[in-house]
Amino acid sequence: MPQLDKFTYFTLDLAQIVSSPLEQFEIIPLIPMKIGNLYFSFTNPSLFMLLTLSLVLLLVYFVTKKGGGNSVPNAWQSLVELIYDFVLNPVNEQIGGLSGNVKQKFSPRISVTFTFSLFCNPQGMIPYSFTVTSHFLITLGLSFSIFIGITIVGFQKNGLHFLSFLLPAGVPLPLAPFLVLLELIPYCFRALSSGIRLFANMMAGHSSVKILSGFAWTMLCMNDLLYFIGDLGPLFIVLALTGLELGVAISQAHVSTILICIYLNDAINLHQSAYFFIIEQKRV
Amino acid sequence: MLEGAKSMGAGAATIASAGAAIGIGNVLSSSIHSVARNPSLAKQLFGYAILGFALTEAIASFAPMMAFLISFVFQVL
Repeated sequence: MPQLDKFTYFTLDLAQIVSSPLEQFEIIPLIPMKIGNLYFSFTNPSLFMLLTLSLVLLLVYFVTKKGGGNSVPNAWQSLVELIYDFVLNPVNEQIGGLSGNVKQKFSPRISVTFTFSLFCNPQGMIPYSFTVTSHFLITLGLSFSIFIGITIVGFQKNGLHFLSFLLPAGVPLPLAPFLVLLELIPYCFRALSSGIRLFANMMAGHSSVKILSGFAWTMLCMNDLLYFIGDLGPLFIVLALTGLELGVAISQAHVSTILICIYLNDAINLHQSAYFFIIEQKRV
Repeated sequence: MLEGAKSMGAGAATIASAGAAIGIGNVLSSSIHSVARNPSLAKQLFGYAILGFALTEAIASFAPMMAFLISFVFQVL
């Protein structure tokens, strides 16, 4: 299909009733580009990602402009401070390690990931907008890059000793080959699971809202007083589901952040933090 | 024939919701138990309960995802 055809098809389609609930996830090239054989178009996901990130960055920039804002924060500054605190707390709690010292080094990276998914997830709830995180490609790119980064950090921090992560302490030697395999598979599966979790939540949630609002709309258009009154039911369900979906969008951002913290803690402290904590408690 | 089989597959995919229901019920019931035993920890436990709920709910959304994929993405040839 030529590019122009798809454009006209889309603009026509917006006016009509859209048939499939998965149509909202369609990727449309806005500025078609090609570099050699590489398809390098500026698409609607890139537009919405750019939009979200630039708005967030502008917010943070304006709040911290005059040497870190006011001492008595206004509403916007409180929002930014809330987001900052919200990330810093799990980072301190999870990656703090045995002595509880703050690993501030990783805080900006985790903060960026959290802010990205925090603003990209609920942004898809705006009608006729596009959910960036409802695509396999984007969430898997995010989670795989984080997974590779965490593995590199683990090797940097512990050297080859990082491989002891795959074998719990005090295991009889004959069992070791099986246990290494059993630990290696979940470790590698983490990269896949955190990406798929975000993607599945966003896709299933947004399309179910779409399907139910389609029910309500069809019922409203039946031209019958009984259906018109009965329409209140589906309408309230759609309203409740929208609230649930916003909650899921925010809690998924929270969950993925906490999981990144836990994985980083595994890579840095090698299962040991909890173990040492118990010993320390016994000494006291 | 194939269309009907597709619908049956999509319907069968939603059976997985039963497991999610058990999981979410388990999370919240344990949270209530813990709060009843130690009410002073209620705030912290609520955070954990929300985390557990979100993790369970994430697995639960695989079921509607499969149902949507089966019913809207797979084309009957």
